[in-house]
Amino acid sequence: MADTKARGPRLWTWLLLPGTLWMTGFLVASLLLVATLALGTTDPLGNPRFGFNPDNLTALADPAYRTVLLRSLGYALITCLICLAVAYPVAYAIALRGGRFKNLLIAAIVVPFFANYLVRMYGWSVVLSDDGPLLRFLRAIGVADDGTKILQTGAGVIAGLVYGFVVFMIIPLYAAMERMDTSLIEAGRDLYGGPLRTFLYVTVPATRQGAAAGCVLVFLPAMGDFVSAQLMGGPDQIMIGNLIQDKFFQGQNWPLGSALTMLLMAVLFLGMLGYLRRTRKDEAEAAR
Amino acid sequence: MHPTPVHPTPAVRLDHVSKRYPAADDTYAVHDVALDIAQGEFFSLLGPSGCGKTTLLRMIGGFTDPTEGSVLLDGQDVTGLPPNKRNVNTVFQSYALFDHLSLADNVAFGLKRKGVPRAEIRERVTGMLDLVQLGHLAGRKPATLSGGQRQRVALARALVNRPQVLLLDEPLAALDLKLRRHMQVELKQIQREVGITFVFVTHDQDEALTMSDRIAVMNDGHVEQCGTPEDVYERPSSSFTASFMGTSNLVPGTYRSGRVVLDAGPELPVGNRPALTDGSRVNLSIRPEKIWLSDLEPDMARVGGVVRETVYCGPTTTYLIELAPGVTVSVLEQNTVRSRMEDRWSGGEQVEIGWKPEHCLVLH
Amino acid sequence: MNNGNTASTTGARNTATTTDAPSTAHAPSTAHAPGTPGAPRKQRRRRRAAERRPRFAIAVTALFFALLYLPVGVVVLFSFNSQKSLTVFEDVSLRWYTAFLHDDVILDSLGMSLRVSLVAMAGSLVLGVALALGLVRSRSRLGSFAGLVMLVPLITPEIVTGVAAMLLFKGLGITLSTTTVMLAEITFSISYVTVILRSRIAALNPEVEEAAMDLGATRRQALRLVTLPALLPSILASAVLIFALVFDDFVLAYFTTGVDPQPLSVRIYSAIRFGVQPTINAVGTLMLAGSVGLIVLALAIPRLFGRRGGLDLLSGK
Repeated sequence: MADTKARGPRLWTWLLLPGTLWMTGFLVASLLLVATLALGTTDPLGNPRFGFNPDNLTALADPAYRTVLLRSLGYALITCLICLAVAYPVAYAIALRGGRFKNLLIAAIVVPFFANYLVRMYGWSVVLSDDGPLLRFLRAIGVADDGTKILQTGAGVIAGLVYGFVVFMIIPLYAAMERMDTSLIEAGRDLYGGPLRTFLYVTVPATRQGAAAGCVLVFLPAMGDFVSAQLMGGPDQIMIGNLIQDKFFQGQNWPLGSALTMLLMAVLFLGMLGYLRRTRKDEAEAAR
Repeated sequence: MHPTPVHPTPAVRLDHVSKRYPAADDTYAVHDVALDIAQGEFFSLLGPSGCGKTTLLRMIGGFTDPTEGSVLLDGQDVTGLPPNKRNVNTVFQSYALFDHLSLADNVAFGLKRKGVPRAEIRERVTGMLDLVQLGHLAGRKPATLSGGQRQRVALARALVNRPQVLLLDEPLAALDLKLRRHMQVELKQIQREVGITFVFVTHDQDEALTMSDRIAVMNDGHVEQCGTPEDVYERPSSSFTASFMGTSNLVPGTYRSGRVVLDAGPELPVGNRPALTDGSRVNLSIRPEKIWLSDLEPDMARVGGVVRETVYCGPTTTYLIELAPGVTVSVLEQNTVRSRMEDRWSGGEQVEIGWKPEHCLVLH
Repeated sequence: MNNGNTASTTGARNTATTTDAPSTAHAPSTAHAPGTPGAPRKQRRRRRAAERRPRFAIAVTALFFALLYLPVGVVVLFSFNSQKSLTVFEDVSLRWYTAFLHDDVILDSLGMSLRVSLVAMAGSLVLGVALALGLVRSRSRLGSFAGLVMLVPLITPEIVTGVAAMLLFKGLGITLSTTTVMLAEITFSISYVTVILRSRIAALNPEVEEAAMDLGATRRQALRLVTLPALLPSILASAVLIFALVFDDFVLAYFTTGVDPQPLSVRIYSAIRFGVQPTINAVGTLMLAGSVGLIVLALAIPRLFGRRGGLDLLSGK
């Protein structure tokens, strides 16, 4: 019934124009440039040259790159899992038991996230360092010994990624739990008994979409990150982001860097496709 | 469909307007509506939701263009003109107040657009806020007001512009029953005071009956009947109008030379003479309160039946009487006739009911 | 949660337990459920406790908050350390803050970051608000294209946008400078403004704009006099948010900045990588304070306008 008149919408189309032109001119054009340069080569001086050259693509098949790609995937997936494991209890506790402090608690999670990423990561690396507060505490209670290290290991890199992006998991999960009907949990208690089974059979299915959105929001930046591997890891922990950074800054091989960037995009694109198919299926089921 | 207007040119003329949405299977939201609304009239568009009454109102206001036909305001064709170029104003269903402006600024909005001198704006805004009894709240923001007060601001904001026609889109729908009754009376008073033509959209037949000079009953995109409240209530021209305006018994039968043979048996005289050929299937329409249960007069139409249900409703009692298997009529009786319980009819009793022939209409 | 209710239904289900241990049965047993396995007493008691309070979840939450704030706390604490050490706190001193105030390079970076943030905020607001209005209202084909393009920065890792922006500037022969950072940050921020405002615009009552036109305003006047004022709280909140995001942004700035000056976060990055100076703690603390102030402001703006909480501003992302 709320029909707008046929005349007038021209104004709305005009409003679209500057933003769309800007985004197309800068973003779309630049991404196309990356795709094109991925097929280019370098001249003897190291300057990028456009052309059609599959060398970069075959170079990606190099086992060294494959190792880094698989490592990045592994780190990003483990990061997602840890974020899920942390975010579920936190979101659950705040959404269901937060009472009138709910908003304050969520704000307390969001606010430090807006602090500078580097400063936070730097602080985290100090906490995780060999004589930092965490390891000193763990040594004091006998969990860790003198040789235990967190920095310069894969665990350190993953800890950095989790610390960097866990908020992206908590917010959608929290929103999903807020929407959830609490009487479901009570009903679950009756049906399944224990809190763990209620959680698995009631809470998890009801918040699956929030968890899926959170996984995407964590996985995307984790895959592209290069700071965590630099600050928390060593040479054996480098991720695909570090390779890209290296090709553009130190290595000065832009075509290869572009090819690596496209590889990263392809992996993420496949991931997004899986997520979209999943949510479509969920929506179709919900509509039925 | 064009009754003789009091004033030579009607305030609003809808000249065979239609509205079609190409996307929605080519169905008509409004189909071939021709209406004249006289100057100073309180005119209601009444119908169930989705009947096209709001679309019709939006065409007058300029928010929707008809796909066919034209809209005339005071004799001038305004079809295709945007809302800001028409001398009509609207009271929206949601009131659509400007939350960031004070009441006074809300009311002054239209006058400022028109470039009315500042001193005059102040004077007219104050006068209008006083008229709707909100003068003391002029500096407040709308968010702090109650539903009834917001409704009055919306009214003042529209009326202050002295439009040719004021359009009201279910303005009372959001209010509770008591406040709605109160506002009905107040709206009618204000209308008389300012003398502006009101076009009022509602789905509430009581509201339309109590407030309107004339009512257009709409159904499925077209006007079923247009006339005074008494016309549409007492002399409905279709089964739809008869059942939408209050309750009506529709008894199936066959038309035969000015009389109707009920499927339930008897042949009965009727009050109107429709242009029908003998043998046409018709409905006989009788209002529950027009049916007598006792003291029948000699010239009345009479039918026998069995009392199936007795429903006591305080001032009245409703009887459901079965004339034949599957044909039941309801009869409404004031409790002054049979004031004590033991005097009322009870289930299973054989009764004879009757009505005056002029109260019984043949509807196609 | 209604504890009594839960208890009674649980009791009804576990009638077997009730008969095993009548002394502990507080719940009325209304029906006898044969076939239901009797829960041992201990488990039953544990379940009662869990109903009152999910201890595990609360413990994890407490630990989470501790670890969330520990790194931030370390940075703040050691910014006041009189020594260079990051492990031993000697004495309270403002030494590193004084050092910061006398470090021209860092001050230049601060100035650049502020300029970039302001320009990016203004630019992305103008483009983003217009884009959001068009996306909600226009039904043209350009609208669906714009809707897709707008999503790109949100589903692309920053390193990709950074690399792409750098290649574009180099490809066009533009020397990387403060201007290139500004252009890149605007591009990146438009999407955020649009996402935040889009839902707000869609939630506006269309009758309000119609009312303005009904009262004599043209479509453009209605936009200026009614729609934009109604959106003002959201626009201000997203302005603050964008300022904070751009000021703290590292990756995009890293790829698009020239050599001198460099944005503050790029400076911090170099400092962290090539030998830490405690000055970074002081700068970091000041940046933390600034971001926290801005974010609290962004959350508070809707409240200042009498609307309910601003948190959905963040979760809307």
